[in-house]
Amino acid sequence: MLKIFQRLWQVNWAEQWQYRANLMMYLLFWLVSPVIYLAIWTSIANAKGNVNGLTANDFITYYMTLLIVDQITSNIVIHTFAYKIQDGTLSGELIKPIHPMLTNALVNNIAFKILTIIGFIPVWIILFFLFKPDYSSVTLIGVLLAIPMMLMGFLIGYLLTATITSLAFWTTRVFSIHDFYFALSLLFSGQFVPLTLMPKIIQNIAQYLPFRFQLYHPIQLILGRLSVAEIIQGYLTAGIWLIVSITLFNWVWRRGVKRFSAVGA
Amino acid sequence: MHTLKLLSAFFKVNVQLALAYRADTIVNILLNIMWLGWELLSLSIIFNNTTTLGGWGLPELIALLGVFRLVNTMMVALIWPNTEKFNQSIRDGSMDYTILQPANSMFLVTFSRITVWRIWDLVLAIVLIVVGINMSGDLITPLHILSFILLALSGMIVIYSLWIVLIAFTFWFTKFDNNVTIMQALMDSGRYPVSVYPVWMRIIVTYIIPIAVATTIPLQALRGELSIQKIAIFFLVAVISFIVASLAWKSGLKRYSGASS
Repeated sequence: MLKIFQRLWQVNWAEQWQYRANLMMYLLFWLVSPVIYLAIWTSIANAKGNVNGLTANDFITYYMTLLIVDQITSNIVIHTFAYKIQDGTLSGELIKPIHPMLTNALVNNIAFKILTIIGFIPVWIILFFLFKPDYSSVTLIGVLLAIPMMLMGFLIGYLLTATITSLAFWTTRVFSIHDFYFALSLLFSGQFVPLTLMPKIIQNIAQYLPFRFQLYHPIQLILGRLSVAEIIQGYLTAGIWLIVSITLFNWVWRRGVKRFSAVGA
Repeated sequence: MHTLKLLSAFFKVNVQLALAYRADTIVNILLNIMWLGWELLSLSIIFNNTTTLGGWGLPELIALLGVFRLVNTMMVALIWPNTEKFNQSIRDGSMDYTILQPANSMFLVTFSRITVWRIWDLVLAIVLIVVGINMSGDLITPLHILSFILLALSGMIVIYSLWIVLIAFTFWFTKFDNNVTIMQALMDSGRYPVSVYPVWMRIIVTYIIPIAVATTIPLQALRGELSIQKIAIFFLVAVISFIVASLAWKSGLKRYSGASS
């Protein structure tokens, strides 16, 4: 099994490496909105002293950390997989004795991630000197606690998007469905603003949804802004969501593959 | 006249293309409304915590959102689909047929595809501008409206010209598929007044990829914050950038050798 992953890694790394210029453009794309939000909220915090108890530095560290966490927990599976179902190229992968979504596509995502992270590091350092975040609240324990959370956040996000991608077995409008999912995640993940500034009702709903484990929760862990009870509750909820997303994905995938009729093959 | 006829022909063709996917159009409009809801919610979250943003209040930001949507519509309804077609035509040589046609090639390349349902966005944009300006209670004179229209057009011409320059590069570097990504990436900055950004970002979105010229500045004109001289300068900038773009297009076209022949 390890050998298979090793080979998949070589193939996918080489494939992503070909598109390195595209990757840098993608990176730019994805950097802009957090930087805009950072600018907006620091300008408000600077004008008022603080926003609901958050200082300008709190916002700077929040969004600077968000850039890193998002890099780790996000995925592009819908863009690399949905077309395979739609144009039938999936059939070639289905005859292999490995799960297409959980091996090849996953490794492809990770190769993509690592390449973008390489391009991202110098950009982050430049932003660091431009915004000068004060990271004194970060502790080693916080970072160590955040690592498994980011991993869970990535897996939950990956499985849920993979589930949406699998809906391509039934409908041609997966990208519209994904747009809707993306809007939910904007609302509940803490992408736009630290969740504590959201309306109360959104905060309450966000507690029970999986989106915050991809951004808000790991960021707060790294910055050391959570109580012990919140940390434990976070791990438990994320664990439940991980189980839910595994089950959901499996169920949808199995039914989908049964329906699959490989157009064109 | 000839150009207008061509434009209406392109429009008809694109309407027919869109009619083949009616259900998609409805889904797209519904999603579009959802995004509008998100944009308004995000503004309300910002203004729950402050009364001004970069010197502007909520009504002004709603109007700015409208102006942003005007520019964004050009981006998604015109720039995206045409660039995609153009890149393809450079790679496979079908650009040959475009050049052979007895019309300005730059016009053909930039207007042949139109994402028709996005016209809905223009309606929304105008509603947002009117609502925002009404809420703000700013006194709007016909002169302000005139200078707004002039500067909004100037801003769009500037963006259009930048687009031409970017895609003209493709004549030199055939594999330049990312030619407009940089514009799209910075597009979002147009939702907020340029005065909230740190200086280095302001420089980028005003002078390098001038999104702000097409969003913040026309709205300033509408609110009567710009002097006649400034308005004249921005108009002049638009004219110059259009001339530069046409020159870049012509010299790029000379480099085109056709992929198939």
